[in-house]
Amino acid sequence: MAEQSSGGAIYFAVLGIVTTAFGLADLLVTASGSELAYGGILEIPGDLFRGGWGGIIVLFAGLFYLSGIRNFDDIHQFAKVAMGSILIWVVAGCDIFAMISESIPSWEEETGPWFNTLPDFIAAYAPPYAPAVLLLPFSLVVLYYISKRASGETRGGNSS
Amino acid sequence: MKLSTGARWDLIDRISKETVTFGAYQHTLKDAIGELTVKPMTGIPVAIAVMYGFWSVFGSFAGFFTDGFFVRLFDVYWLPWLQEVFPGQGGWLYAIMVDAGGIESGEFVLSSNCLESFGVLTSGLFVAIGVVLPAIIIFYLMLALLEDIGYMPRLAVLLDTVLHRVGLHGYAIVPTILSLGCNVPGVTATRILETKKQRFIMMTLLAIFIPCGAQIGIMQDVVPGLMGWILLYLIIGYFIFGYILNKIVPGKAPEFLIDVPPYRRPLLGNIGKKVGGRVKGFFVVAIPFVLLGCAIVGVLYQLGVIQFLGDALAPVFVGWFGVPKETAGPLIAAFLRKDLAVAQLSAITMTPYQMITAVVLVSIYFPCVATFAMMLKEGWKELLGALAVLTVVVFTYGGLIHLIGKLLGVA
Repeated sequence: MAEQSSGGAIYFAVLGIVTTAFGLADLLVTASGSELAYGGILEIPGDLFRGGWGGIIVLFAGLFYLSGIRNFDDIHQFAKVAMGSILIWVVAGCDIFAMISESIPSWEEETGPWFNTLPDFIAAYAPPYAPAVLLLPFSLVVLYYISKRASGETRGGNSS
Repeated sequence: MKLSTGARWDLIDRISKETVTFGAYQHTLKDAIGELTVKPMTGIPVAIAVMYGFWSVFGSFAGFFTDGFFVRLFDVYWLPWLQEVFPGQGGWLYAIMVDAGGIESGEFVLSSNCLESFGVLTSGLFVAIGVVLPAIIIFYLMLALLEDIGYMPRLAVLLDTVLHRVGLHGYAIVPTILSLGCNVPGVTATRILETKKQRFIMMTLLAIFIPCGAQIGIMQDVVPGLMGWILLYLIIGYFIFGYILNKIVPGKAPEFLIDVPPYRRPLLGNIGKKVGGRVKGFFVVAIPFVLLGCAIVGVLYQLGVIQFLGDALAPVFVGWFGVPKETAGPLIAAFLRKDLAVAQLSAITMTPYQMITAVVLVSIYFPCVATFAMMLKEGWKELLGALAVLTVVVFTYGGLIHLIGKLLGVA
């Protein structure tokens, strides 16, 4: 159990550092007023809303992870880690929702099809992605620890 | 049968022994997350994320329906069809109902889109159904979700200290957020505040600094890049003038006690009922005002009243507020429909800073007719007081924004 917990703490420490770095990068790119694309998979938006406001939230998510890894078994500390993941889900969820809502209409000014063509619809989901979307799969690991903790609580053990 | 005090306590003991389970309470993850969202250090980042999610989903949803489908439906199909089939092109009824058009080289020219036509059946319907309806539905859906999850009481606790600075308390967040949908239920919700002073401050701040869903929807559509600055100016004004009102308005601003419920999974039925009821209420109260307002603005334009007032007040608008002379008309028409006024402003050529100033002025300007009627229902003294404050705020804050722009070299 302790081994698994320390594994979790290390995992979220690394994720916390990466998330914090992404958050800072978001803010710096927004402050510079430009966009940044890297390796065809990562794109940091330069607009004030997604890059600035969203970047602050990604930065907070990273700080939540980092502040929660110490004494990882404690329920209050673990809640910070869970909250870090929730913040990433909010930003990534909003990015994905924006992708979905932009992929369906055709955006034709004049007469023509109302809905997007299949190739354009699929292309709307192709990379590059914003940092929060890239972090999303890694943040889902917290669900494993939540379910593990929940099963422990059901058996009567609470580590708080 | 009358029990003595001792017998009553014995009875209470017996009942509690049979009904209450005693033991050490074990914190669950839900409890711990609940605590994190109330403590300022961790709660404020969460509140920032919740507001981000709220506005991001709002923008995507409203953009999906308005820009993705309704703009095309109204501009490409509805407007040209009506322009063709409605009789009396160039006449006053045509101008009020379909298209006020414009004059180019002495010839009457039809408008190319519904935001510029200003007819009841074109601009009125487009604003009401194409812009406001999607915005209102998603706004109330998100609000109902936050309420049913149990986040709103936590936000109230979190903002309590800040809102005390403006003579209010945490509960004031309820009318404030409701007003972002429609000012009318927002004004009604001020009744949850205990004292006259609080209700007056809240009502005044709502009428001046909180743009309604219709206005936000149209701002999102026509000046999306400037939304952040406009909202920032409104938030700053909300707190500056709230602070001043708290100092000068006599009366008490008591503390509040709130029961913070645990987080719960929202029930689809409850969400549906809430959203359905609120959207229905909006339809009944606000949509007729959108259409009626559009008609009255059209009539006033046709009679030359707005042109006359615009010309008369132009020196104030140009000299004091730093906005072009042409904005005088829309700013006067804003009394009837703020959303239409923003749409009218978008058709005028001006610098981004002038656009920010003009849209902020539309927001802090006279409340819309529906809100005005609701405020009158709450008491004419309060209404007169709020209007006096509003007049002072429009001139001082509008002038201040112009001054800031001049100092920054952007006005």
